[in-house]
Amino acid sequence: MEKVIALSAKNISKTFEISEDSHNTVKHRLFNLFNPPRKKKVPALKMTSFEINKGECIGLLGRNGCGKSTLVKLLAGVYPTDTGYVKINGSTMLMNLGVGMSHELTARENIYVSGSVLGLKIKEIDAIFDTIIDFAELRDFVDTKIKYFSSGMVARLGFSIAVNAGADIMFLDEIFAVGDMKFQEKAIKVFESSWIEGKTVVLVSHSMDTIRKYCNRSGYMKNGEMVYFGDTEKAIELYMADNQ
Amino acid sequence: MLLKIVKDWVSSSNKLERLWLLAKIEFKLRYYENKLGLLWALLKPIMDIGIYYVVFKTVLKSDVPAFASFLFIGLIIWNFFVESTTGTTQILNTKKYLYEYSNMNKLEIYVSTLFSNSIGFFFNFVMFLLFYNFLEKESGGVSAHILWAIPLFLNLFILSLGVSLILSNLYVVAKDISQIWQVFTSFLFFLSPIFYSLKVFKEALPSFDYGNPIAGIIINARRVLMQQTYPDYELLIWDFVYAIFLLFLGLIALNKLGSKAAEKL
Repeated sequence: MEKVIALSAKNISKTFEISEDSHNTVKHRLFNLFNPPRKKKVPALKMTSFEINKGECIGLLGRNGCGKSTLVKLLAGVYPTDTGYVKINGSTMLMNLGVGMSHELTARENIYVSGSVLGLKIKEIDAIFDTIIDFAELRDFVDTKIKYFSSGMVARLGFSIAVNAGADIMFLDEIFAVGDMKFQEKAIKVFESSWIEGKTVVLVSHSMDTIRKYCNRSGYMKNGEMVYFGDTEKAIELYMADNQ
Repeated sequence: MLLKIVKDWVSSSNKLERLWLLAKIEFKLRYYENKLGLLWALLKPIMDIGIYYVVFKTVLKSDVPAFASFLFIGLIIWNFFVESTTGTTQILNTKKYLYEYSNMNKLEIYVSTLFSNSIGFFFNFVMFLLFYNFLEKESGGVSAHILWAIPLFLNLFILSLGVSLILSNLYVVAKDISQIWQVFTSFLFFLSPIFYSLKVFKEALPSFDYGNPIAGIIINARRVLMQQTYPDYELLIWDFVYAIFLLFLGLIALNKLGSKAAEKL
């Protein structure tokens, strides 16, 4: 099979500037004209480049605060990069617990909005609407606002939308922590079925089993640096060694 | 850059659908959440007109003919502008859920919100036409000149979009921009020919029909809708250039400041 590049990142890096006192009003700026804010630079991601092929499932490993989520947000196009560029072929979706839904809207509206943002037409959403609702087990709450949902219900809905509507490139940030045991089983079943085929997935997880099972290549990160990118077993080994 | 955006939109066919969907939901959120519902959208301009009518006609004895209609058209244009600018200052914050997890073009968020305001404007405009034709005693009726309302509205839309982009992206780095803008709009309100006759306005504030980007739109709207004449072309072109310039600034702001919204807000 010919390899098609779904995503290529070239020399990307990201540094966050954190000022100690909040300099974000006109008033504050005027009063402190000669007293510039003290800024702290936090290098969240150091220079890195890689390519992901279409249909690949990539795992991301690393300890807390090593820059996994920042990297995922850069790749998804949510954050702009400081240097280099990310070239994306298709729509992207970033998923972690509950983002991407407005709490002011009902489940029905959220499904339509999210589906549309992911590039589906209204008719296509009509067709998968029932599947999404049934998968999320929210039949009785279709026209209830999300803000009255429990966090588990919101997470289930988000997961169900992601699974059924799906973007071309999915970034899944610790999604297996969603829902009760029964729902988790269902989620894993979907993952094991044909769903993952043809989709490009970047999976962030602390569960070695998950990564080992689904990812053909993985990246291991430490202190904002992509230390290793390639074979999954090697990445897991490095991560385990780091945790000792 | 504009060309690229337009091309981008045409090529992917679900974008218009999406804009409409977002606009509908926005509209529903605004007007169906409270008890008075859509009635409120119609009631507000009527109440405003009532207040200004009493102040300027009854108390100050304004000599403008068909004063209620005169106020009506001025106020609905003004309200659209204010709703689309003051109402969207925090849009990058309230609509964060739309761009926080995908690479959706932020400009779509603005356009859909303005579409939603346009629905409200359309209702008010129909009300104005009904009022002007059937209730206004000094009405001259409408003529084919009413078609000029389309480019005028387009002008208003571009202007509002531009200002909205500038303000909401400044909000990313300056949170108190909404307070500053509120003061500025109430100032601008009195520097716009909403309740003054054109003659008084031009005498008191020379060159403000050009300096104030919304003044020309109101003046021309009255010409084509109430006086059955052609718009003041010079003013029309000037306002279009003004609006497009502000839109251009807004797009720069969106690129420079708005791209960092996800991490700063």
